[in-house]
Amino acid sequence: MAADVRTAASEPEARIGDTILDVRDLKQWFPIRRGLLQRVVGHVKAVDGVSFRLLERESLGLVGESGCGKTTAGRTILRLYEPTGGEVWYTREDGSQVELTSLTPQEMKVHRRELRMIFQDPFSSLNPRLTVMDIIGEPLVIHGVTRKRAEIERRVAELMEAVGLNPNYMGRYPHEFSGGQRQRIGLARTLSLNPRIIIADEPVSALDVSVQAQVLNLLQELKEQLGLTLLFIAHDLSVVEHICDRIAVMYLGHIMEIDDAENLLRNPAHPYTEALVSAVPPADPDVRMERIILEGDVPSPSNPPTGCVFHPRCRYAEDVCRTEFPPMVDLGDSHLSRCHFAADLELQGVE
Amino acid sequence: MTVSQPTASPQADSALAEALDVRGGWQESSETYFQLVSRRFMRSRISLLGGLMILMLAILSIFSDFFSPTDPTEINMQATFTPPQKVRFTNVQGQFGFRPFTYLQVYDFHPETLEPVWVDDESREYLVKFFVKGWEYKLLGFIPMDRHLYGVQDGGTVYILGTDKLGRDLFGRMCQAGRISLALSLFAGLISITVGSVLGVISGYYMGWIDGLLQRFVEVVQSIPALPLWMALASVVPITWDPLLVFVIMASIFALIGWTVLAREVRGKVLAFRETDFILAAKEMGASDLRVIFRHLYPHALSHVIVVLTLQIPQIILAEAFLSFLGLGIQEPLISWGYLMRDSNSLETLGVNPWILSPAAFIVIAVLGFNFLGDGLRDAADPYATA
Repeated sequence: MAADVRTAASEPEARIGDTILDVRDLKQWFPIRRGLLQRVVGHVKAVDGVSFRLLERESLGLVGESGCGKTTAGRTILRLYEPTGGEVWYTREDGSQVELTSLTPQEMKVHRRELRMIFQDPFSSLNPRLTVMDIIGEPLVIHGVTRKRAEIERRVAELMEAVGLNPNYMGRYPHEFSGGQRQRIGLARTLSLNPRIIIADEPVSALDVSVQAQVLNLLQELKEQLGLTLLFIAHDLSVVEHICDRIAVMYLGHIMEIDDAENLLRNPAHPYTEALVSAVPPADPDVRMERIILEGDVPSPSNPPTGCVFHPRCRYAEDVCRTEFPPMVDLGDSHLSRCHFAADLELQGVE
Repeated sequence: MTVSQPTASPQADSALAEALDVRGGWQESSETYFQLVSRRFMRSRISLLGGLMILMLAILSIFSDFFSPTDPTEINMQATFTPPQKVRFTNVQGQFGFRPFTYLQVYDFHPETLEPVWVDDESREYLVKFFVKGWEYKLLGFIPMDRHLYGVQDGGTVYILGTDKLGRDLFGRMCQAGRISLALSLFAGLISITVGSVLGVISGYYMGWIDGLLQRFVEVVQSIPALPLWMALASVVPITWDPLLVFVIMASIFALIGWTVLAREVRGKVLAFRETDFILAAKEMGASDLRVIFRHLYPHALSHVIVVLTLQIPQIILAEAFLSFLGLGIQEPLISWGYLMRDSNSLETLGVNPWILSPAAFIVIAVLGFNFLGDGLRDAADPYATA
């Protein structure tokens, strides 16, 4: 572990800056096995070289359609799946940095207190056989914070109040709660060890629209109160826009564009972002936007297209897109776009 | 363009739940899994009946000395193969009394065929008494007692199910044999589910080559014909060994029946649950493999395992009875229901003394009882079925 921890002093301050999590070229390829001998015949490149920085106390939205690898990226960062390649540098509270992908499970457990996850489906992510008290208190037991039942009870009651649940219900089972309440239970479990970073994996997509806003607002409130950093994974741009400072757009295992939330929506610099933005229903019914319908389906991540992975569906595609994988183009003000023509295209955004 | 602003406070839905709540109170707890299962179980009449049948046999076995008017190990060559004695209320003169009595049975020859027969000696009535003093024994192995549920006046006998070829009370022997038959099948069942669970969990949780290896091993074990294997194993156990050791070995042999099936079923359950979000959530919290298995995975298979256990026990009872009947299983001084019926393997003996088959009644009660119980448990153990 000593080799992985670099003190702030040995690294130039500027490189670290206020980056709390630096994901570099993260890859998660799932092997496809066939036949009697289970030979590997190919890979599903769910996440294929994702790099981004998560800044202290910001909320970064990771958006993309189903199957683009955003959930896998979140889980790989937390080593719920063992990464195929890449690095994840985590800056600890004392400023020292640690590379998460090379840690042993025991070493990783130390950091799991500070890097937590909220799961998408509040119906399957809570063990139906355990009471709310056992569910929310479990991280405390696992990390040996306390073994005294009274103390766990006190902490659980605190957490339940913080997420807007009645602590009297700690003896109940998950099936006795509604979807929104269950997601609050999940949130309380996530908060129980005072985390610094929360990876929220589509925390509201399984909920009724009427409850979504409540849970989102609660999440945002708690984030401000507790000084959390949020990686918010979602497929719904309007949800992300509501809660995030910056947005990263993913497509087929790659990040296509990263920018401040507002600027990304107003001035997208990638044709895929443009299409996504055009699908967001405008709040003003008088505003008419051109709806861009993408041709075809998302290609299989086991056999991605050559060149730019988006070219078969891109209406601006030219020959270079079919042969050359585009680099990340820096458009200034930390606006990055993975498009050969990022600087040249005039793309439509939100008015 | 933006998500609609919340119209309700974050507390809205919990407040609603509170309004709907009729129980209230600080830290009120809801029905635990066990309570839920037992409530559903109690509703099933047939499984309650099964439970009562097992309970009855268990009581008869545990307190078998109390239910035996004569020492079931004491040989009495004057009373070999006595037929079941009638407990009477009316004497030869046709007088009815409220106190039950028996006649002594004596050996005589049939006046025409000259076959030996048992006839009632009607010269003297022996009153049947309850909670009577009799031969001394130790209740549960350590409480000295000499009371028995029933008995007769000195000099009389009361063999309600007759005697075996050494003149021992068959009913008392049956009660005593229940100890071995029930304990052996329970013990063998426990061994079987322990082995099956451990291997099933390992197989399902770790997958990969270890899973392949274990599953092939299960297939090999399943393909061995059970009957010849048991007979071979049972016949190599020397009679001279300590009875307890023989008991343990016999139990292990019978455990071979079920563990393979259970290992597969537990593996299936583990495979079904290992990819669920709450297992992923446990790993995300940093839970160890052991914690994931024992806290989150195995409890979901446990109800299934208990049901398998109750359905496996009758199979073991039957197998044990079968082997003991053939003289390959339990040996004296241990006795089991199957062993008691050994004398009936000659048609001649059976034709003259049909009552020596009565241990079969206990076997039937035990097998039916466990099956009823298992059926009821199977229905009750699934909490997600419509309540």
